[in-house]
Parts: sequence; C-alpha cells; structure tokens
Amino acid sequence: MNEKVEEILYKVEKPSRYIGGEINSYKKVINENMIRFGFAFPDIYEVGMSHLGMHIIYNLLNELDDIYCERIFAPWVDMEEILRKEDYPLFTIETHSSISNMDIIGFTLQYELSYSNVLNILDLGKIPFKSSERDESHPIIIAGGPCAYNPEPLADIVDICVLGESEELLIEICNVYKKIKKEGFVKDRFLQEVCKIEGVYVPSFYEVKYKEDNTIRFVKPKKEEYPAKIKKRIIRELNEAFYPEKVIVPFADVVHDRAMIEIFRGCTRGCRFCQAGMIYRPIRERKSARALELADKLLKNTGYEEISISSLSTSDYSELNELVRGLIKNYGDKKIGLSVPSMRLDSFSLKLIEEIQKVRKTGLTFAPEAGTQRLRDVINKGVLEKDLIEAVTNAFGLGWSTVKLYFMIGLPRENYEDIDGIADLGRKVVQAYYDTPKENRKKGLKVTVSTSSFVPKPFTPFQWEPQDKIDTLVEKQNYLKGKLRHKNITYNYHDSKTSFLEGVFARGDRRLGEVLIKAFNKGCRFDGWQEHFLYNNWMEAFEECGIDPSFYANRRREYDEVLPWDHIDVGVTKKYLIDENEKSKEEKLTKDCRISCTGCGINSGFIGGVC
Amino acid sequence: MYKILVKFTKQDRMKFLSHLELIRVVERALRRADIALKFSQGFNPHPKISFAAPLAVGVSSEGEYLTVEIEEKIDSNDFQKKLNMELPKGIKFIKCKYVDTKTKSLMSIVEDSTYVVKCYTQRDYQYNEISRILEKFLQRNEIFYEKVGKKNKVRTVDIRKHIKEAIILALEDKEIIFKITTSTGSQGNLKPEIVIEKLVELEGVAMDLEKLRVHRLETFSSKGDRKLIPIDSII
Repeated sequence: MNEKVEEILYKVEKPSRYIGGEINSYKKVINENMIRFGFAFPDIYEVGMSHLGMHIIYNLLNELDDIYCERIFAPWVDMEEILRKEDYPLFTIETHSSISNMDIIGFTLQYELSYSNVLNILDLGKIPFKSSERDESHPIIIAGGPCAYNPEPLADIVDICVLGESEELLIEICNVYKKIKKEGFVKDRFLQEVCKIEGVYVPSFYEVKYKEDNTIRFVKPKKEEYPAKIKKRIIRELNEAFYPEKVIVPFADVVHDRAMIEIFRGCTRGCRFCQAGMIYRPIRERKSARALELADKLLKNTGYEEISISSLSTSDYSELNELVRGLIKNYGDKKIGLSVPSMRLDSFSLKLIEEIQKVRKTGLTFAPEAGTQRLRDVINKGVLEKDLIEAVTNAFGLGWSTVKLYFMIGLPRENYEDIDGIADLGRKVVQAYYDTPKENRKKGLKVTVSTSSFVPKPFTPFQWEPQDKIDTLVEKQNYLKGKLRHKNITYNYHDSKTSFLEGVFARGDRRLGEVLIKAFNKGCRFDGWQEHFLYNNWMEAFEECGIDPSFYANRRREYDEVLPWDHIDVGVTKKYLIDENEKSKEEKLTKDCRISCTGCGINSGFIGGVC
Repeated sequence: MYKILVKFTKQDRMKFLSHLELIRVVERALRRADIALKFSQGFNPHPKISFAAPLAVGVSSEGEYLTVEIEEKIDSNDFQKKLNMELPKGIKFIKCKYVDTKTKSLMSIVEDSTYVVKCYTQRDYQYNEISRILEKFLQRNEIFYEKVGKKNKVRTVDIRKHIKEAIILALEDKEIIFKITTSTGSQGNLKPEIVIEKLVELEGVAMDLEKLRVHRLETFSSKGDRKLIPIDSII
C-alpha cells in the first residue's frame, strides 16, 4: 500500500472499507494493453458491496485477462474531507490508483438520489463533469442500471448509457475500446463505433427540442445512422449466463453480508406502480438444480454463514419448494442461515418460512401497498384483506409476534378513505393477534406500519400521473400518525422532500443536468442519507436555473406528450402502459401474465415468441 | 470436542480491521477450510472462537492469540496450513497446538503486552535527553489519566502501575522508537499510545501524536509470579 494512502487511512472511520485485498478480490499486474475499467457505485462501500449486479460485472470482467475491473465507491464524508484537504485524488479499492487513470468508469445508477454522488466521485477524481469537456486524456464515463432507462438528467454528463442487462454489452464495449486504442484512441471515433452496439445509447448524438410550454417537441438522432430508438439488452438464457462463483467477501460490515443466489429475472405480477416489474421483463428463471450448484460453490468459496435468495416476487418461482428444501437439507446442520426476502405470505410460503426459521423467528413483512381493496385494484396489487388476515393469524399461531406492514401513500386516485384503510388494516392485524389463544401466541406483539411516498416512474402505467405535492404527503402522514396511536403499533414514514426530489429526477429531462451541477456545487451529496440531504440548497439550484421542479414531479402528462425517455425501448409498449393506466381508472385487475399473456409487448420485440 | 490454541499475526493492511471484522475474517476462513467447528447453543449459533486481547484499529501485531473449538480432530500442522491458504494476506497463523479443553479462557489469563511504538518529534532530540526524560517519567509514583468511559463519563485513573517497562529502542533524526510493556486484559488495560500521550503532556516532549504507529510484539501471562511468559508457552 502506498504511504500516502496508508497515512490517510489512519485518519478515517472504518478504514477497512478502503483497504481492498478482500478474499476473492482480483490483484492483477497492469500492462499497457490492458483495459482498466472502474466500476463505480455512487454510494458508500457498505451499500455498493451489497449489490449483486456489482459482483456479477466485477467477476465477469476480471475473468478476462486483458481487462482489470477495479471498484470505486463514494467516500464517506470524513474521507472526502481529508482527500480534499490533502489534495489527493479519489482512488480505486484494488490498486489505490487515482480513478482518473481508468480507461472507462462505469457508474451503476440504482436510485436517483445518488446522482450528486456521481458528480462528487468525478470531482474527487479531477474529471470534468460534462462529456463535452472531456477528451482523450479522461476516462470514458458510462452509466447503467435501472435509472439509466431514463438517463436524460445525466445526458450531458455521461458519454454512454448502457440499457438493460450489461453482461455481454460491457465486453463488446471493451472490445471496441481495445480496437480504437490500437489505432490511437480518439474519443469521437470510439463513440461513433460503439453506438452501433445494441443497447448502447450515446446521448450527445441526439438532439432535443422543447416547446414553449417546456414539454418536448422532439428527440431525434443527429445523424441518420444512429438508431431512432435504442433497445435494451437482455440475457436470453439464465442457466447459461455468467454467474460469479467467487464473490468478494468484504471485511467491513456491509448491508447484505451474505451469499446471494439470483433465481430469476423479471416479474409477471404487473403491479402498476412498479418500475422493476416492467423494465426487467421478460421473466427468465434459473433451474433449481443450477441454483443449488451455485449455492454450494458460493458457500465454499466465501465461507459465508448465510445465503439469500434473490429475485422479485420470490414466491412466483416455479421450483421454490425444491430449492428451499434442498438448501435446508444441504446446509441446515452446518448452521448456515437462509433468508428469503420478497415472499408473498400465503399458507404455503408460511410453512416454508417456518422451516427456515426453525431456530430463530425474525419478523415477518407483508406489503399490501394500499389500504383498501379499491386502491389495491387500482394499482393491480392482487392481495385480499382476507388473505392478509389469514396469513397473520397463522403466523401468530406459529409463534411470530413481530409483523411489518408496508404501504405507499400518494398513489394515483387515492383518497382519505384509503388512508383510513391503512390504519384499519394495522388495527385488524393487532386484533388477529389478540384473537389468537393466549397459550398459542408469543408475548410482545409489535406491528410496524411503514409508508413510503409514491414516486411515478418511467415505463410504468403511472408514468403520466402527477406525484402528490410535499404538503399533501405531509398532511396524509400526519393524519395517519393520528390514526395509528396504539401501544402495539409503530408508524414510520419517509421524508416527503426526498421523495419529491426523487420524483423530479425520475421523470426529468436534459435540462436537469445544470441543476444537478449547481446543487453539487452548493454542497449537495448523499441526498438519500437524511442527515446529509440539503433540500434548501436543491431548491436554490432549481431557482437559479429557472426551472420549476414541480413541472417534473407534480404535473399530469397527456398521452400524446413526448416523454424524455420515449426514444428508449424497454420492450413493454406504450400502448400496453396506456391500457393499464386506463384499466386502473376503472379499478380493473390485470392477471398475472404467467397465467395468460397480457400483451405487454416484450415477447414480440425481444424474444420473438412466448415468454 | 477439541480446542486449538493459535498464535497469529495481524499485519500490513489487516491492521486496519476492527476486532469484530477480524472475528468474521477468521470464522469465514475456518468455514472455507471446511473445519468441523463447534457451535454455541441457543437461538443464534456461533462458532466457539475466543481471542486473547483485542487490538485497536491501526495497530499491527505479531503476537496475537485465539482458541477455536472443533468437533473432529485434525493434525495441527494440517490445520495451520489449511487456514493459511484461506486467510487474507497479513493475517497468518504461525503456531497451532491442541490445548486442554478445560483451560481458562485466553481473555482471563492475559496480563501484559509488549509493543513497539514509533513516534515523530517536532524537533531533534539527543538520545541522552530523551533517556533522561523517560527516566523522570517512570520515576513518578502516580500518573493520572482522564479516562472517558461509557456515556462520556470522565474518570481519573492512575496508570503508573500499568506501565511495566518503557525503553528507547532507537532514535534517529526525528524518529524515536520505544518498546513499551503495559497491562492488558480484564485486570487492567493500558494502550501504549496513552503512555506516549502522558509522556508528552507531563514531560513536555514536542511530538506529533497523530503520527504515532503501534505494533504489538507479544502477549503474555504469568504463573502468578508476574514473570512474563508468552501465552503459547504457558498453556
């Protein structure tokens, strides 16, 4: 380790998150022909290292001899202060090199509130913010991840966006880079070449014109050869797809410190508020035999004491029973814990969870999302109150006494009866506990009701809907707080100002880039961390740029309005999204598309046949 | 059931691990090495590993000890080899031997540790000058230190009896290297940094306390006669 870095590490909190050298991390000898790829997660190490996607890309790229993928995280505030004071550049975890020495830096955009950290990372690496200000001496800046499906707020900042699952895509990009590097690297030549790859979007190759009312007149490619619509990429066959078997075992206590096996991608439920449920289509499963094989390798290679199953709506997995029983059989006596998040708690799942939690019963989490049947029909969340009460009654009888209930407030077409419904459900759960015979139930009932504030997202049926204003959300939260005063109930809710900013950037356009830079210069970073969120500074930045943030968050769009992300093709058609939004107005349900195809469009453009 | 005593190092970048992080590193290495571990009973079973004396973050060591309980006997050399293949660079098992399962916990037998402490002074000092200052410091009958405890409660304690030995190993330019032995463990615990801090405060040595670097050489116990014996030689 170089002396300067070592000296710095003596001065920061939790230095183990900066030292590198973890088990299964890569140490390579750097040579001239190698591509140095910095994988940047714009949050702290503990958050970034919990992200499965990072492990996939890290191992995938590092298995290739001519690429060295190193990790970059947002430094915690004490580290940032020292780096700035000592004028020392932000460094990679692997070799402690300045991040500006990378050929390519790829940011993963997991949430909108990390955008200011993207700028902070660039700034600490002395890399200019705007694509147009960077030349051949700077790294190429890539962005991917779920937020990259509407990358427009970062359009002036990043050089390239990668859309969809980037396992194959990143290697193709690196190959083009290598080819151009051999000829003497010219950034524009690289961009011209790389934009031909499916799934690659080069924002600077597109022109955006606005109308007088600030909506978009058109987005069009500057040259004919650039694709008018950029299609996301998917991995067709998950069983053959790359999966990291030797994942890094962090020293620091990261958020999800365990082995993860991804069992499927996509979701068929069709909840109308859920972006993940739309953008990750189609559904693709990994066979349970393969998942079990991966679990075995992962545990052997990491020494982890816990394994978790990862997917959306895990209960929908067609081989869940085989998988969970297999895991219990293989690892139960080795004292390896199993966690299965994202389960729908019907009686079958409950029995499985019972088996998993034989020794220790942690809390159970239910997500009815809305307080009344009417509103659950609006959002197409097919959960019945009767099922929920039945499930919690069962759970109480089996010895659980801690229950969490997740809801959203501010959903489209919500009224105060729906808020009342949340309080009612909370109380009915309490009642179900007291209806359970005393000798069967465990003491100390704890019901936690949490509400997050709904943020309309691109590529969902609610993408045209206005987000509730901050004051409206606060009113609803206060109203609910009053209704939920009960000795067994705790009520938690999200700060509505952060939700507002998330709402602005989620459906933002290119003009937000200036606001972002301005806000960063006013000290904004770690916006997702309550103690660091500077709402007033953000509002100043909007004002100085002459931009009204509520234009993005609180405005209803017409179906014929050009949306900033209309030139991106995620496979789900606009027609399907409009139909779904209309059905939501009529409070009509759409069936799970495992049962029968609901015509979202993913099967025609992406897989050419049945899902 | 068997119990293995391990002497190990914690050096290079591993010195930046906290004690909790070190525990996890060792547990996971044991699992990767496929050692048949003994687990604690109860709701949240844990492998039975105990350590002699936790190190502060940033302190390196070549004299650390732990015991681990296992279910199936394995040759101690094989055990050592297997584990060293799985441990991150900087943590190395240097001695492994079986001990009686009924031996007292390491935590309860540790008495002292010896450290090498590297300091930087703000001006040049002659050997004799520092030597005289140190002698004067050690001649004090009482050295009071304000210890900040739980809930920020300040307690004044006399640390003199916890300083067992302090000598100058080397002095060159503005760098002084001390060898310091202090109490360690439940009967009294004193960090060598505090010894230097008090030396600076009471005797007025111009020193850059921020640049202090500490390395533990050995952890000791005694047979009641206060004669220092390395842990692995006493059990």
